[in-house]
Amino acid sequence: MLDIKDLHAAIGGNEILRGLSLAVGAGEVHAIMGPNGSGKSTLAQVIAGHEDYEVTSGSVQYEGRDLLELAPEERAREGIFLGFQYPVEIPGVNNAYLLKAAVNAKRQHEGKDEIDAFEFLKLAREKMAALGMDPKFLNRGVNEGFSGGEKKRNEILQMAMLEPKLAVLDETDSGLDIDALKAVAEGVNALRSPERAIVLVTHYQRLLDYIEPDRVHVLSEGRIVRSGDKSLALELEEKGYEWVREAANA
Amino acid sequence: MMHELPVDRLAETAAALPHASLAGLREAGRTVLARQGFPTTKVEDWKYTDLGGVAALSRAWLAAGAPVDEPDTELVRRAQAGLDAHWIVIANGSVLEAFSDALALPGIGVATDASEFPKPHGALGGLNAALVRDPVRIRVSESLTKPLALLVADSATASAVTAQVRVNLAVDRGAAVQVFEHQVSSGDEGHYSNVLVELDLAADSRCDYVRLQQRATAHSQTARLDVRLDRDARFDYFGADLGGRLARHDLAVDIAGRGASATLNGVYVAGPGQHVDNHTRTDHRVGPATSRQEYRGVLAGRARAVWNGKAIVHAGADGTDAEQANHNLLLTEQAEVDAKPELEIYADDVKCAHGTTVGHLDERALYYLRTRGIGRQRARRILTRAFAATVVDSAPIAGLRETIGDAVEARLRDIMAEIGA
Ligand SMILES: Nc1ncnc2c1ncn2[C@@H]1O[C@H](COP(=O)(O)OP(=O)(O)OP(=O)(O)O)[C@@H](O)[C@H]1O
Ligand SMILES: [Mg+2]
Repeated sequence: MLDIKDLHAAIGGNEILRGLSLAVGAGEVHAIMGPNGSGKSTLAQVIAGHEDYEVTSGSVQYEGRDLLELAPEERAREGIFLGFQYPVEIPGVNNAYLLKAAVNAKRQHEGKDEIDAFEFLKLAREKMAALGMDPKFLNRGVNEGFSGGEKKRNEILQMAMLEPKLAVLDETDSGLDIDALKAVAEGVNALRSPERAIVLVTHYQRLLDYIEPDRVHVLSEGRIVRSGDKSLALELEEKGYEWVREAANA
Repeated sequence: MMHELPVDRLAETAAALPHASLAGLREAGRTVLARQGFPTTKVEDWKYTDLGGVAALSRAWLAAGAPVDEPDTELVRRAQAGLDAHWIVIANGSVLEAFSDALALPGIGVATDASEFPKPHGALGGLNAALVRDPVRIRVSESLTKPLALLVADSATASAVTAQVRVNLAVDRGAAVQVFEHQVSSGDEGHYSNVLVELDLAADSRCDYVRLQQRATAHSQTARLDVRLDRDARFDYFGADLGGRLARHDLAVDIAGRGASATLNGVYVAGPGQHVDNHTRTDHRVGPATSRQEYRGVLAGRARAVWNGKAIVHAGADGTDAEQANHNLLLTEQAEVDAKPELEIYADDVKCAHGTTVGHLDERALYYLRTRGIGRQRARRILTRAFAATVVDSAPIAGLRETIGDAVEARLRDIMAEIGA
C-alpha cells in the first residue's frame, strides 16, 4: 500500500530524512519509534503532503501511484489520514462543519452524494460516544481551547468519520489518560481491516499493549535503523535508544 | 481646490422635485454645499478617500438634466424574498409605495414638512438636503414585532444617476425597534448615492440596527448614520460593506444620557479596485456609559480600506467604558489598509482600550484543513469566513446572521475568482 524508497527530505535547508525506506502492506499495523528529533513527524508530514518539506530524492508510492505528485487535499481524498502530533486550533470554524466538509469532500471525490444532515449527526454522535466525547464538542471551534487529550480524541473522531485506507497517527497516545488511551486504541482497532493500513508513531510501549503492531521500526537521524516484530518495542523500553544507535553504527 | 457643483443647476433640479413644501430644506442644503463644496483629500477626515469621481459624476448628471432611472423591481423582489419584515423601499431616491407595506404603520411616511428636519450638516448633508426627493420620517412609539427593513435599491441602466436617501427615525421612550438597512444596486452606468439616516433614541429605548451594503462594484456611495442616545438607551449596530467601488460610511454616536450603551461592529470585504472607508465617532458626553466597537476587514487584490475610530470622552463623562478594535486580514500583498484609532479623553475616571491588527491567513490552519480533503480555495474561504464570523455573529438581528455570513462568503468567492487565487 505504502512504499517508501531511499527518501531524503529537508526543511529550511536542513536534511531531516536521510535515506528512509519503509514498506507498509494492506492490513498491517506498523509502529515507528525513535528519539526526539529523529524525523518521525517529518516522515508523517511528508506522507500527508506538507509543502514546507522538500523531498530531495527517493520515492513514495501509495497504491502503486506516485504520492508526491498529489496535493494534501488529494491525498486525503484518496484515503490518507494524518493524526497530528499538535492538532491545530481553528477558532470560528465549528467542529461539525469541518467534519461534514471533510466527509463530503471525500464523498464527492468518490462520486457520491453529500451526506444527509441527519445521517451525519447520527454517525458523528455514535463515533463520539464510542470515544467518550461529549456531543457538545461538535459545536465548538475546531480544537479551540481543547485540552491536550481532547485534541487527540478529536483527531481520532475525524479518522473514524473518514475511514481512511492509510492512517498515520503521530503520537496520538501522548497526553492521554488511561480511559482515553483505551478509547483511542479501540477506535484504531475498529478501523483495522485487510484493506487498511495504520502507521503509529509513538514513544510508549503502552499503546502497543492495546494495538498490537505487525512491525516495529526505530527511526534515528532520519533513517530506519532497526525493524522487528512487537518484541522490539519491549526491548527498546528496556535498553533505550543508545542501544539501537550503537548497533546501527557498529 | 474644492469639488464644486453648479448651484444654478442644483436649484433647477430641486425645483422639479416632488414636495414643493421642502423648498426651504433644499435651499438650505444648497447654501451649505455651495459654501463647503465636496470635501477634498486635504480635509483630515477625507485624507484617504477622494470624492473627485463622485463629484464629476454628479456634475455630469446635473448637466444631463438629472435623469432618473426606472426602478429595478426585479432587484427589489430579490432583496425582499425570504425576509419577514415591514418594508420601506427607496429606489433612486423615490419611495416605492407598492413595495413599502411599512407606510401603513402609524408614524411612518414621507415627510413633506421642511421644519421636521434638522438643519443640513456638512457638505454631504447639504447635498442630501438639496436634492432629496422623498425623505422618510419614522416615529416608533410602540415596539414593532417585525424588523423594519429599509431597502435602498438603486439602478443606473440608461445613464449615470445620483440619488439621495434621507431617513429620520425616532424611537420613543421605552420602545424597541429592529432596523435592517439593505443597499443594493444594478446597471452598468455610474451611480452615486448619498444616504443619511438619523436615529434618535429616547430614554430606555432600544434599537438593533443591521446594515448590509451590497452595491454593484461600479457604483459608489457615501453614507452616514447619526445616532443620539438618551438615558439608558441601547444601540446595537452591525454593518457590512461588501460592494461598491467607493464606499464610505460615517457612523456617529452621541451618548447624551447616563447608562446608555452602544455596540458598533462591522465587517468589510474589498477586492480589486474597491475602496472602503469606515469612519466612526463616539462622543461620550456623560457617564457612566459603555461603547464597544469591533470592525473586521478582509482585503484581496488591489483593494484599499480605511478604518478610523474616534472616541471622545468629554469632561465630566466619568464612568465611561469604551473599547475599539479593528482587525484586518490581507489575502494578497497588494491590498492596503489605513487603520487609526483616536482617543481623546477629558474626564478622569474612564476605562478605554483600543487596538488594531493587520495579518494573514494562518498557514497551519490552511494546511490542517487541506489534510482533511478540503481544497485550498475552499479552505481559504472557510478561514476567512471564520475571521469575519466573530463580528457577523454579533449582528443584533439573529435571523440575518446566516444571510450576512453567506453574503460575505459569496463576495469572497467572486473576489478570489477575479484575482485567480
Ligand atoms: N522548520 C525547520 N527548520 C529547521 N529544522 C527543523 C524545522 N522543522 C523541524 N526541524 C528539525 O527536524 C528534526 C526532526 O523533527 P521531527 O519533528 O520530525 O522529530 P520527531 O522525531 O517527530 O521528534 P519528537 O519525538 O520530539 O516528536 C528536528 O531536529 C527539528 O528541530
Ligand atoms: Mg514528532
